[in-house]
Amino acid sequence: MLFTIITVLAVLGLSYRLTSLRFRAKTPAAGKKAAGYFPWLWSWMKSILKKETFQKGRSVVSDWIKNYYPGWTKWVFLALAASFVYQAASGLLFAIFSPRGMFGVPLLVHVSLGGLFAVSLAFALIWRARDYRLDRQEAAAFESMACPVFKNLSKSLIRKFLFWAFAAAGLCLMITALGSMVPFFSFNAQKAMIVVHRYCALVALLTALTFLDTAFLPQPQAK
Amino acid sequence: MNQMQPPRMKNRSVLLLIFILSVIEAWASSPQKKLAWDGSRITPVHQIPLKDELNQLIVPTESYPLPFSSRATCEPCHDYKVIQQGLHFNEATSTKPGRAGEPWIWVDEKTGTLLPLSYRNWKGIWNPKDLGLTPWDFTLLFARHMTGGGIAEPEDKDMTPASRWNVSGKLEINCMGCHNASQVQSHSEWAKQVLRENFRWAATAASGMGEVGGMSSRLKGTWDVFDGPNPDDSEWAAAPSVRYNKNLFDSKHRALFDIAYKPEDSRCLACHSAAPAEMKKFNFDEDVHSAAGLKCVACHRNDLGHAMVRGYEGEAEDNPALPAEGFTCAACHLGGKSSIRQTILPGRLGAPYPLHKGFPEVHFERLACTVCHSGPMPAKETVRVRTSRANRLGIYGVAQWATGLPAILEPVYIRDKNKKLTPHRLMWPAYWAELKEEKMSPLKPEEVLAAAGDILSPEKTVTRILTALFNIPELNGTPLLIMDGKAYELNVDGGLDASPYLGVTNKPDLFWAVKKSGKITRLVPGFNPDVPEAAAEAEALIQKILEALKNTEAAPGQPVCVYKNLLYRIVETYVDKSEFKGESQSQPQFFWLKDDQTQPFVTNFARRTIGQLTGTEQTLTEGQAELILKSLREKRPVNEAKDGNEYVYISSGKLFRLDQNDKLEAKNDDAAKPVAWPLAHQVRPARQSLGVNGCTDCHKAGSSFFFGKVTGTGPLETKNVLVRSASSFMGLTKPYYFLFGLSFTVRPVLKWILFAAAIVIGSILFLVFLLALGRLSGLIDKRS
Repeated sequence: MLFTIITVLAVLGLSYRLTSLRFRAKTPAAGKKAAGYFPWLWSWMKSILKKETFQKGRSVVSDWIKNYYPGWTKWVFLALAASFVYQAASGLLFAIFSPRGMFGVPLLVHVSLGGLFAVSLAFALIWRARDYRLDRQEAAAFESMACPVFKNLSKSLIRKFLFWAFAAAGLCLMITALGSMVPFFSFNAQKAMIVVHRYCALVALLTALTFLDTAFLPQPQAK
Repeated sequence: MNQMQPPRMKNRSVLLLIFILSVIEAWASSPQKKLAWDGSRITPVHQIPLKDELNQLIVPTESYPLPFSSRATCEPCHDYKVIQQGLHFNEATSTKPGRAGEPWIWVDEKTGTLLPLSYRNWKGIWNPKDLGLTPWDFTLLFARHMTGGGIAEPEDKDMTPASRWNVSGKLEINCMGCHNASQVQSHSEWAKQVLRENFRWAATAASGMGEVGGMSSRLKGTWDVFDGPNPDDSEWAAAPSVRYNKNLFDSKHRALFDIAYKPEDSRCLACHSAAPAEMKKFNFDEDVHSAAGLKCVACHRNDLGHAMVRGYEGEAEDNPALPAEGFTCAACHLGGKSSIRQTILPGRLGAPYPLHKGFPEVHFERLACTVCHSGPMPAKETVRVRTSRANRLGIYGVAQWATGLPAILEPVYIRDKNKKLTPHRLMWPAYWAELKEEKMSPLKPEEVLAAAGDILSPEKTVTRILTALFNIPELNGTPLLIMDGKAYELNVDGGLDASPYLGVTNKPDLFWAVKKSGKITRLVPGFNPDVPEAAAEAEALIQKILEALKNTEAAPGQPVCVYKNLLYRIVETYVDKSEFKGESQSQPQFFWLKDDQTQPFVTNFARRTIGQLTGTEQTLTEGQAELILKSLREKRPVNEAKDGNEYVYISSGKLFRLDQNDKLEAKNDDAAKPVAWPLAHQVRPARQSLGVNGCTDCHKAGSSFFFGKVTGTGPLETKNVLVRSASSFMGLTKPYYFLFGLSFTVRPVLKWILFAAAIVIGSILFLVFLLALGRLSGLIDKRS
């Protein structure tokens, strides 16, 4: 139950944070007033659901993939993305809505795609790690770190942070999944691993959502 | 002031005094007082006066003393009424049936009846009342494995006219049956005495306190225990009497009861044994708890109320007064919280704490502990077991008590009330029933027998002949029937035993023979009837045989022998030889002659039936079932002949009925579903538990756990049996679990992939961490 509450609050909170930043950037007249937020959100979501927005988004993603995952390596990214989307959706939906947790065919696919996720993440790390290493300027940016982090840090640094956070969460997911499959840990340890697995999945989802926001969506200029 | 009290006031004072004295007396004799434990852990020596059912002291030296009464003897210290509420005595009165347990099974092999019965309201089990069984009938059927009390000790108002309680006495609670620490306590003696209807004497005889003779079952219904011995008959209809073992009494006529406060396991096992049917005794492993030194009663505890802890999960809901939550597997081994938030510490009586390494949590949510730890390991087919109560085990004597039927199968995994899979034992019921307006009413075996007549006894046509031949000394051997390649001979129970016949069987392949020193020859070998000297010996033998056969029970005609074109028969006291106008016989053959027509000794129906059934445990053929259903329809017409009203037979998981052409047909029906009850023992050690070899103990394509077969069994010899997979009992989707099991063949590859990926990702992250650390500390900058 605690996990459900934390998950719902975290996802809603992040969504609010990301959209509210966008709202304030796009409607400076509203300032810090939240009165126009929900109408704006509604119209923004409707604009996203439009066909041309979808096509535009697809071309943005396509360009991004071509840029960062050229040639056959795009399949690595697609495998990583597809397996993660399924893992996150199935895992969290069952964790939130099913008292029994995940079971049946969804579980079977979840476990099977876990292997694909692990391999593609490992490959993506080997392929892309060099682009996300910290340089000296960014290292200095830590000094100006303040809450809220997304306001004061550069997008580049945020993406790097998110990339490594996602990788760390992915590693944790793998270890906990593997740990529950091998007969080395006691029942209580395994129960703990399932809990850790779930929270890591939540962290991975939050980082992925934020990365998506910073990497693919048009970035508003903060006022 | 010396005023006289009015008489009314005086009366009030007297009444008040009586009331106060009554309260004091009631308190003094209250169960609470009797229940009180002074804290000592010793069991008092029970050197006590024995009382008979009239609460009179038993003096063993008296002539014809009565047997001791548990009620009267134990009552002064132990409240009998409280004990009567106990689990072993309250099946007819308790309103809380609890988790299903093993039912009583009414076995009648002759009619192919295997009916699960219980007064407790358990699913799929018939209440004896609904079948018209009185407490008397029920006691006669099952007292061999009953504890006494309860249904076997009815109130006077519950005694039905046809019962013989006044002769037999009531079957009081047999306290010594459980609490006797002496090795003299005999379950066999108990069974023998209740079979003889010596109910009031059974406990005395079984405890070894005295020797009991006589049989109530042979006494007239008017006999009363105060009538004493029968002066006219001391052999056949001898009245029961007891001769006490005087060595057990002291000079004050007090007897020594060697009492065990905690009964020995052997006492429990007298009625609760279960073992694989084909297993040798020396090879049987006891329950791991017993091997560790625990007694049955270490977990199955009770107080004076004898409400025993059964130990299943959820028992506390069924019976809140019991401390049941502390005695489940999980409570002793894992500990936990009780329903009233009290901490239950693990490790009770040294129970080891299981780590369950590698087991996902779902197993503990969906499976009872006993799935992995109790009963036999799942196999392609279920294991057949015999239990004390169902198969009449543990009774030894001249007679063979144990029966093969019913076939009880285990393990079958079925969801319990708490939705957890739990290993069960099951049996397939078999019975004849009247199906009226979709309501099934089982018939009693005697009702079926009355309607079926000779259909159920085809072997008697053979056994009667063999018995008659057995009494001819001139044969000097064992008479046999050679039929269809088998040799049939009488067995000690009056039935038939079959063995392969390896000799030559020219036509006809049915003939009577005699076995001498292992050699089988024809009953009457061929001879030349035209040569009187040569024929004399054979014709003398024919005369002996015909004379022996003419008094055969239920003979349909006169016995005759036909040889070539001659017919031999007894006329007055000699053999008459005349011309036979029927089919000539190349070997001497015997027939019944009725209205100048010959009939074979063994009809085609009997031949088929005997051939099919002899040597098998089945007792009915499809042919018999068809005939019996027709006979029931004719002799017991179903009232209000509406569509769907008919007689049916249930066996092997199928319902058998007559189709429109009066032929037997089989179909699936809920009434034929098996009856199951959870099993808890034998508990295996952890290293022999299911899953100790890894996930693939259960999760693999074709796993016995999910895809083992449960085959219907029953008294009917038929190929129409229901076969179900284990997963169907679990309520699981077979294809999914096949796929899921299949996934475990690639599971090791997945683990290696995850491991390799984790190493790669972990190494990179570690490098990143080192780089970040180096940069923060300035080590990398300094180097560059």
